[in-house]
Amino acid sequence: MQAAFRLARHSASLRASTSIRCLATTANPAHVASAPATSASSSTAKPSIIPLSNVEAQWEKMSTEEKATVYEQLEEAMKKDWKLLSIDEKKAAYYVAFGPHGPRAPVSKPGDNFKVFAGTLALMGVAGILFYAIRLASPPPPRTINKEWEEAANQRALEQKMNPITGIASEGYSGKGFVTHK
Amino acid sequence: MMRPALTTALRAATRPSFAARVSPTLIRFAHDHAQESFEQFSARYVSFFQNAEDLFEVQRGLNNCFAHDLVPSPEVIEAAVKAARRVNDYSTAVRIFEGIKEKVEKKSQYQDYLLELKGLREELGIVLKEELYPETA
Repeated sequence: MQAAFRLARHSASLRASTSIRCLATTANPAHVASAPATSASSSTAKPSIIPLSNVEAQWEKMSTEEKATVYEQLEEAMKKDWKLLSIDEKKAAYYVAFGPHGPRAPVSKPGDNFKVFAGTLALMGVAGILFYAIRLASPPPPRTINKEWEEAANQRALEQKMNPITGIASEGYSGKGFVTHK
Repeated sequence: MMRPALTTALRAATRPSFAARVSPTLIRFAHDHAQESFEQFSARYVSFFQNAEDLFEVQRGLNNCFAHDLVPSPEVIEAAVKAARRVNDYSTAVRIFEGIKEKVEKKSQYQDYLLELKGLREELGIVLKEELYPETA
Protein backbone atom coordinates (compact mmCIF):
# COMPACT_ATOMS: atom_id res chain seq x y z
CA MET A 1 0.00 0.00 0.00
CA GLN A 2 2.69 2.39 1.05
CA ALA A 3 4.73 1.44 -1.99
CA ALA A 4 1.76 2.23 -4.20
CA PHE A 5 1.47 5.70 -2.69
CA ARG A 6 5.13 6.31 -3.15
CA LEU A 7 5.01 5.17 -6.74
CA ALA A 8 2.02 7.40 -7.40
CA ARG A 9 3.79 10.34 -5.84
CA HIS A 10 6.94 9.66 -7.76
CA SER A 11 5.24 9.58 -11.13
CA ALA A 12 3.27 12.69 -10.25
CA SER A 13 6.40 14.54 -9.25
CA LEU A 14 7.80 14.04 -12.72
CA ARG A 15 4.99 16.09 -14.11
CA ALA A 16 4.28 18.61 -11.40
CA SER A 17 6.91 21.01 -10.24
CA THR A 18 5.79 20.87 -6.61
CA SER A 19 6.13 17.52 -4.98
CA ILE A 20 6.10 17.10 -1.24
CA ARG A 21 6.71 13.82 0.45
CA CYS A 22 4.05 13.44 3.08
CA LEU A 23 1.86 10.82 4.67
CA ALA A 24 -1.10 9.79 2.59
CA THR A 25 -3.16 9.57 5.77
CA THR A 26 -2.94 13.29 6.39
CA ALA A 27 -4.57 14.09 3.06
CA ASN A 28 -2.02 16.78 2.56
CA PRO A 29 -2.74 18.85 -0.50
CA ALA A 30 0.57 17.81 -1.96
CA HIS A 31 -1.57 15.13 -3.55
CA VAL A 32 -4.02 17.74 -4.61
CA ALA A 33 -1.18 19.78 -5.98
CA SER A 34 0.19 16.94 -8.05
CA ALA A 35 -3.18 15.49 -9.01
CA PRO A 36 -4.19 17.94 -11.74
CA ALA A 37 -0.91 17.51 -13.58
CA THR A 38 -2.65 15.66 -16.41
CA SER A 39 -5.06 18.48 -17.11
CA ALA A 40 -2.62 21.22 -16.22
CA SER A 41 -0.36 20.22 -19.08
CA SER A 42 -3.12 20.99 -21.56
CA SER A 43 -4.45 24.18 -19.97
CA THR A 44 -1.71 26.54 -18.99
CA ALA A 45 -4.17 29.13 -17.68
CA LYS A 46 -3.46 29.14 -13.97
CA PRO A 47 -5.62 30.95 -11.47
CA SER A 48 -3.81 33.97 -10.12
CA ILE A 49 -3.58 34.86 -6.45
CA ILE A 50 -6.49 33.50 -4.44
CA PRO A 51 -7.33 35.35 -1.22
CA LEU A 52 -6.66 33.14 1.78
CA SER A 53 -9.14 34.93 3.97
CA ASN A 54 -12.04 32.50 3.78
CA VAL A 55 -10.59 29.29 2.43
CA GLU A 56 -12.73 27.18 4.76
CA ALA A 57 -15.96 28.24 3.10
CA GLN A 58 -14.66 28.07 -0.45
CA TRP A 59 -12.54 24.93 -0.26
CA GLU A 60 -15.29 22.48 -1.21
CA LYS A 61 -16.25 24.54 -4.25
CA MET A 62 -12.73 25.16 -5.52
CA SER A 63 -11.44 23.38 -8.57
CA THR A 64 -8.38 21.20 -8.27
CA GLU A 65 -6.20 23.85 -9.89
CA GLU A 66 -7.38 26.46 -7.44
CA LYS A 67 -6.66 24.14 -4.56
CA ALA A 68 -3.18 23.58 -5.90
CA THR A 69 -2.67 27.34 -6.16
CA VAL A 70 -3.84 27.87 -2.60
CA TYR A 71 -1.51 25.16 -1.46
CA GLU A 72 1.45 26.68 -3.27
CA GLN A 73 0.67 30.09 -1.80
CA LEU A 74 0.53 28.59 1.67
CA GLU A 75 3.72 26.72 1.09
CA GLU A 76 5.47 29.95 0.24
CA ALA A 77 3.88 31.74 3.18
CA MET A 78 4.94 29.06 5.64
CA LYS A 79 8.58 29.50 4.69
CA LYS A 80 8.52 32.92 6.30
CA ASP A 81 8.80 33.54 10.01
CA TRP A 82 5.60 32.14 11.44
CA LYS A 83 5.14 35.15 13.66
CA LEU A 84 4.64 37.26 10.54
CA LEU A 85 1.81 35.08 9.26
CA SER A 86 -1.64 36.57 9.48
CA ILE A 87 -4.32 34.69 11.37
CA ASP A 88 -6.05 34.01 8.05
CA GLU A 89 -2.96 32.37 6.65
CA LYS A 90 -2.58 30.28 9.78
CA LYS A 91 -6.20 29.19 9.65
CA ALA A 92 -5.96 28.42 5.96
CA ALA A 93 -2.78 26.39 6.47
CA TYR A 94 -4.38 24.36 9.22
CA TYR A 95 -7.64 23.91 7.35
CA VAL A 96 -6.03 22.80 4.11
CA ALA A 97 -3.88 20.21 5.87
CA PHE A 98 -6.11 18.96 8.68
CA GLY A 99 -9.53 20.55 8.23
CA PRO A 100 -12.77 18.61 8.11
CA HIS A 101 -12.85 17.87 4.40
CA GLY A 102 -12.14 14.83 2.30
CA PRO A 103 -11.29 11.84 4.48
CA ARG A 104 -11.66 13.96 7.64
CA ALA A 105 -15.16 15.16 6.84
CA PRO A 106 -17.48 14.47 9.76
CA VAL A 107 -19.57 11.37 9.23
CA SER A 108 -22.80 12.86 10.56
CA LYS A 109 -24.29 16.30 10.31
CA PRO A 110 -25.68 18.11 13.35
CA GLY A 111 -29.29 17.08 13.79
CA ASP A 112 -28.69 13.56 12.55
CA ASN A 113 -29.07 12.17 16.06
CA PHE A 114 -32.52 13.66 16.35
CA LYS A 115 -33.51 12.20 12.98
CA VAL A 116 -32.40 8.73 14.07
CA PHE A 117 -34.28 9.10 17.35
CA ALA A 118 -37.46 10.32 15.64
CA GLY A 119 -37.24 7.55 13.03
CA THR A 120 -36.89 4.91 15.73
CA LEU A 121 -39.87 6.28 17.62
CA ALA A 122 -41.96 6.34 14.42
CA LEU A 123 -41.11 2.71 13.66
CA MET A 124 -41.98 1.67 17.20
CA GLY A 125 -45.30 3.48 16.85
CA VAL A 126 -46.05 1.70 13.59
CA ALA A 127 -45.23 -1.64 15.21
CA GLY A 128 -47.58 -0.87 18.13
CA ILE A 129 -50.41 0.13 15.83
CA LEU A 130 -49.92 -3.05 13.81
CA PHE A 131 -49.97 -5.14 16.99
CA TYR A 132 -53.27 -3.74 18.24
CA ALA A 133 -54.83 -3.78 14.76
CA ILE A 134 -54.09 -7.48 14.47
CA ARG A 135 -55.46 -8.10 17.96
CA LEU A 136 -58.66 -6.27 17.03
CA ALA A 137 -59.15 -8.20 13.81
CA SER A 138 -58.38 -11.64 15.24
CA PRO A 139 -61.00 -14.02 16.78
CA PRO A 140 -61.26 -14.36 20.60
CA PRO A 141 -58.98 -16.86 22.37
CA PRO A 142 -60.12 -20.52 22.50
CA ARG A 143 -62.68 -21.47 25.16
CA THR A 144 -60.21 -23.82 26.84
CA ILE A 145 -57.90 -21.02 27.87
CA ASN A 146 -59.45 -19.86 31.15
CA LYS A 147 -59.07 -20.73 34.77
CA GLU A 148 -62.30 -22.71 35.12
CA TRP A 149 -61.51 -25.01 32.26
CA GLU A 150 -57.99 -25.63 33.56
CA GLU A 151 -59.25 -26.47 37.05
CA ALA A 152 -61.75 -28.86 35.53
CA ALA A 153 -58.91 -30.42 33.61
CA ASN A 154 -57.06 -30.90 36.92
CA GLN A 155 -60.05 -32.67 38.45
CA ARG A 156 -60.33 -34.94 35.47
CA ALA A 157 -56.61 -35.71 35.68
CA LEU A 158 -56.96 -36.69 39.34
CA GLU A 159 -59.98 -38.90 38.55
CA GLN A 160 -57.92 -40.69 35.97
CA LYS A 161 -54.82 -40.87 38.26
CA MET A 162 -52.77 -39.26 35.56
CA ASN A 163 -48.97 -39.48 35.96
CA PRO A 164 -49.07 -41.09 39.44
CA ILE A 165 -45.32 -41.27 40.07
CA THR A 166 -43.99 -37.76 39.49
CA GLY A 167 -46.98 -35.80 38.22
CA ILE A 168 -50.34 -34.43 39.24
CA ALA A 169 -51.74 -37.61 40.79
CA SER A 170 -48.59 -38.48 42.75
CA GLU A 171 -48.35 -38.36 46.55
CA GLY A 172 -47.59 -34.96 48.03
CA TYR A 173 -47.92 -33.16 44.72
CA SER A 174 -47.74 -29.41 45.24
CA GLY A 175 -47.73 -28.10 41.67
CA LYS A 176 -50.50 -26.32 39.84
CA GLY A 177 -51.28 -29.05 37.36
CA PHE A 178 -52.90 -27.65 34.26
CA VAL A 179 -53.66 -24.24 35.73
CA THR A 180 -51.62 -21.55 34.05
CA HIS A 181 -53.77 -18.55 34.95
CA LYS A 182 -53.08 -16.68 38.15
CA MET B 1 19.45 -59.09 47.11
CA MET B 2 22.23 -57.48 45.24
CA ARG B 3 20.64 -57.81 41.85
CA PRO B 4 17.74 -55.32 42.03
CA ALA B 5 20.04 -52.63 43.38
CA LEU B 6 22.47 -53.21 40.56
CA THR B 7 19.81 -52.98 37.87
CA THR B 8 18.50 -49.76 39.33
CA ALA B 9 21.95 -48.27 39.31
CA LEU B 10 22.53 -49.40 35.74
CA ARG B 11 19.22 -48.04 34.60
CA ALA B 12 20.00 -44.72 36.19
CA ALA B 13 23.34 -44.67 34.42
CA THR B 14 21.86 -45.44 30.99
CA ARG B 15 19.08 -42.92 31.37
CA PRO B 16 19.95 -39.74 29.51
CA SER B 17 20.86 -36.89 31.77
CA PHE B 18 17.38 -35.46 31.92
CA ALA B 19 18.09 -32.13 33.50
CA ALA B 20 20.86 -31.19 31.12
CA ARG B 21 18.75 -31.92 28.07
CA VAL B 22 15.51 -30.27 29.14
CA SER B 23 16.65 -27.17 30.94
CA PRO B 24 17.49 -25.02 27.88
CA THR B 25 13.95 -25.26 26.54
CA LEU B 26 12.58 -23.95 29.82
CA ILE B 27 14.35 -20.62 29.42
CA ARG B 28 12.09 -18.11 27.79
CA PHE B 29 14.22 -16.20 25.39
CA ALA B 30 11.34 -13.87 24.60
CA HIS B 31 11.83 -12.28 27.99
CA ASP B 32 15.35 -11.33 27.14
CA HIS B 33 14.20 -8.33 25.12
CA ALA B 34 15.23 -5.16 26.86
CA GLN B 35 12.31 -2.97 27.84
CA GLU B 36 12.75 0.55 26.51
CA SER B 37 12.51 3.04 29.32
CA PHE B 38 10.67 6.34 28.94
CA GLU B 39 13.99 8.19 28.90
CA GLN B 40 15.31 5.98 26.12
CA PHE B 41 12.08 6.46 24.21
CA SER B 42 12.37 10.23 24.55
CA ALA B 43 16.00 10.24 23.54
CA ARG B 44 15.22 8.09 20.51
CA TYR B 45 12.48 10.39 19.27
CA VAL B 46 14.38 13.59 20.04
CA SER B 47 17.22 12.38 17.84
CA PHE B 48 14.72 11.18 15.25
CA PHE B 49 13.08 14.58 14.96
CA GLN B 50 16.40 16.36 14.98
CA ASN B 51 17.48 14.30 11.98
CA ALA B 52 14.15 14.33 10.14
CA GLU B 53 14.61 15.94 6.78
CA ASP B 54 11.19 16.34 5.24
CA LEU B 55 7.52 16.55 6.08
CA PHE B 56 6.90 12.89 5.37
CA GLU B 57 9.60 11.94 7.82
CA VAL B 58 8.29 14.28 10.52
CA GLN B 59 4.69 13.13 10.14
CA ARG B 60 5.72 9.49 10.11
CA GLY B 61 7.69 10.05 13.31
CA LEU B 62 4.73 11.80 14.90
CA ASN B 63 2.40 8.97 13.99
CA ASN B 64 4.75 6.46 15.59
CA CYS B 65 5.57 8.59 18.59
CA PHE B 66 1.92 9.28 19.45
CA ALA B 67 0.91 5.67 18.90
CA HIS B 68 2.27 4.49 22.25
CA ASP B 69 0.49 4.33 25.57
CA LEU B 70 2.24 7.44 26.83
CA VAL B 71 2.33 11.16 26.22
CA PRO B 72 5.62 12.17 24.62
CA SER B 73 7.79 14.24 26.91
CA PRO B 74 8.14 18.01 26.35
CA GLU B 75 11.64 17.50 24.92
CA VAL B 76 10.21 15.26 22.21
CA ILE B 77 7.45 17.77 21.49
CA GLU B 78 9.99 20.55 21.27
CA ALA B 79 12.14 18.58 18.86
CA ALA B 80 9.06 17.71 16.79
CA VAL B 81 7.87 21.31 16.62
CA LYS B 82 11.32 22.45 15.61
CA ALA B 83 11.36 19.76 12.95
CA ALA B 84 8.02 21.08 11.67
CA ARG B 85 9.57 24.55 11.55
CA ARG B 86 12.56 23.19 9.65
CA VAL B 87 10.37 21.60 6.99
CA ASN B 88 8.20 24.75 6.91
CA ASP B 89 4.90 23.16 7.81
CA TYR B 90 2.87 25.30 10.16
CA SER B 91 -0.16 23.04 10.21
CA THR B 92 1.85 20.12 11.53
CA ALA B 93 3.15 22.27 14.38
CA VAL B 94 -0.44 23.13 15.34
CA ARG B 95 -1.41 19.50 14.96
CA ILE B 96 1.27 18.39 17.42
CA PHE B 97 -0.36 20.43 20.18
CA GLU B 98 -3.75 19.06 19.16
CA GLY B 99 -2.23 15.60 19.49
CA ILE B 100 -1.09 16.31 23.04
CA LYS B 101 -4.58 17.46 23.90
CA GLU B 102 -5.92 14.15 22.64
CA LYS B 103 -3.33 12.07 24.47
CA VAL B 104 -3.33 13.56 27.95
CA GLU B 105 -5.57 12.16 30.62
CA LYS B 106 -6.68 15.38 32.28
CA LYS B 107 -7.12 18.92 31.05
CA SER B 108 -4.70 20.15 33.69
CA GLN B 109 -1.96 18.03 32.15
CA TYR B 110 -2.57 19.72 28.80
CA GLN B 111 -2.31 23.07 30.53
CA ASP B 112 0.99 21.94 32.05
CA TYR B 113 2.29 21.05 28.60
CA LEU B 114 1.18 24.41 27.24
CA LEU B 115 2.87 26.21 30.11
CA GLU B 116 6.06 24.20 29.67
CA LEU B 117 6.16 24.92 25.93
CA LYS B 118 4.92 28.51 26.10
CA GLY B 119 8.35 29.87 25.26
CA LEU B 120 8.64 27.69 22.21
CA ARG B 121 5.18 28.62 20.98
CA GLU B 122 5.84 32.32 21.35
CA GLU B 123 9.25 32.00 19.74
CA LEU B 124 7.81 30.31 16.66
CA GLY B 125 4.45 32.06 16.67
CA ILE B 126 2.34 28.93 16.93
CA VAL B 127 -1.34 29.47 17.59
CA LEU B 128 -3.27 26.58 19.05
CA LYS B 129 -6.13 24.99 17.20
CA GLU B 130 -8.65 26.09 19.83
CA GLU B 131 -7.41 29.65 19.33
CA LEU B 132 -7.67 29.35 15.54
CA TYR B 133 -11.11 27.82 15.69
CA PRO B 134 -12.78 28.74 18.97
CA GLU B 135 -15.67 26.47 19.86
CA THR B 136 -18.82 28.30 18.85
CA ALA B 137 -21.25 25.99 20.56
